[in-house]
Amino acid sequence: MSAAKYKGLGDPELVSLCLQGDAQAWESLLVRYRRLIYSIPVRFSFTGADCADVFQAVCLRLIEHLGDLKDVTKVSSWIITTTTRQCIHVQAQKRRETSTDDEFVEPVDPSENIEEVRIQSQAQQNVRDAVDLLPGRCRQLVELLYFDTRNPSYESIAQSMEMPVASVGPTRARCLEKLRILLRRRGIQ
Amino acid sequence: MQILVFSLPLRPHIVCNETLRSKGMRHLKAVKVLEYLDGQATEANKLELEQHLAQCSDCAELSREIQTFVLQFQADAAFEPPPELVEWGVALFQPMLQPTGGKLRKLIAALVFDTFDQPLQAGMRRVGAPPRQLLFRAGDVDVDVKIESMEANDRITLVGQVLSTTEKFFDNTPVKLESHGIVRYRTMTNLVGEFSFDEVPKDTYHLSVDLPEGQITLFCVHRGNS
Repeated sequence: MSAAKYKGLGDPELVSLCLQGDAQAWESLLVRYRRLIYSIPVRFSFTGADCADVFQAVCLRLIEHLGDLKDVTKVSSWIITTTTRQCIHVQAQKRRETSTDDEFVEPVDPSENIEEVRIQSQAQQNVRDAVDLLPGRCRQLVELLYFDTRNPSYESIAQSMEMPVASVGPTRARCLEKLRILLRRRGIQ
Repeated sequence: MQILVFSLPLRPHIVCNETLRSKGMRHLKAVKVLEYLDGQATEANKLELEQHLAQCSDCAELSREIQTFVLQFQADAAFEPPPELVEWGVALFQPMLQPTGGKLRKLIAALVFDTFDQPLQAGMRRVGAPPRQLLFRAGDVDVDVKIESMEANDRITLVGQVLSTTEKFFDNTPVKLESHGIVRYRTMTNLVGEFSFDEVPKDTYHLSVDLPEGQITLFCVHRGNS
């Protein structure tokens, strides 16, 4: 199966393939959710090292719980919950380690911020999922325009997509409108 | 052969509302909204667009949603984990779940208890890194693992016991410690199923126990505090 076909598979199919020992399915699952996992410790304002620790811990949890996820259609919800818990754990541990006996630290109720993190993370993942559902060229254009770390110019985007430079802007607009329709069809606005 | 072509219905360019209809104005195209949001509209167009957005709720909503997408895309760049971290996560699977192809049955043990997940009791405070205790279960076999970190030499000691829910002990059973797909250390369990790996370098390890019933694989990771 080609990488593009894996990309088109839903979570249950990917999880099922993972459980059959398909390494490419695992890679697709991890690539699909890499930003979601990493975004949560970033939203908690963790350092790079702590973000990496949380990411690793969640990857391990995910692999350990693949069997439990078999019937779950939304892996993203599981990831958000697990990653948030991991962040709270790390945060609490750091607070304990840095506080001294002399000071009394008033326990912070993080529930409000955590709920905000959960909502934002889910909203952002909904957009990512919708981008994955865009037609191939639209998805390619969105990835080149917004996610390519090399920050390609319109000229080089036009070249790699074999389209006139003048078409990049209108195509982008059409793709974003399609994205909007996709999100509405999925009941997300 | 008849080919049917369905096009995705985009926003119909109908008139906006009563006020704008009298001026013969239609809904803004997304490309115009994007030009405006990118700051590429001319001064005259900008004024006209702003007036339109102020009067047409549909177009204002389109503008708001497109702006949200762009902002979310831009923010997403900050959420991109370092590539080596993703590679680490991808590689985690390789030695573990791939079918062996042979007769050996591979069991992935489920983690059922981890002190890392347990909150400290009220009033307790940790001094230094505490040992991490994990319990894995595969079928009717439990593997108890304790990881102790030695800050002085940046190493860990890993001790454990393979237990059965029946009364039998898993003595003289091979136990392997793998990292990055390579078996780094081997040992055998003693009479009561205990094993130990003393002062191994800190790393992420996969622990495998070779039982007659199959090979049990566990994930043991070193984290900052274990």
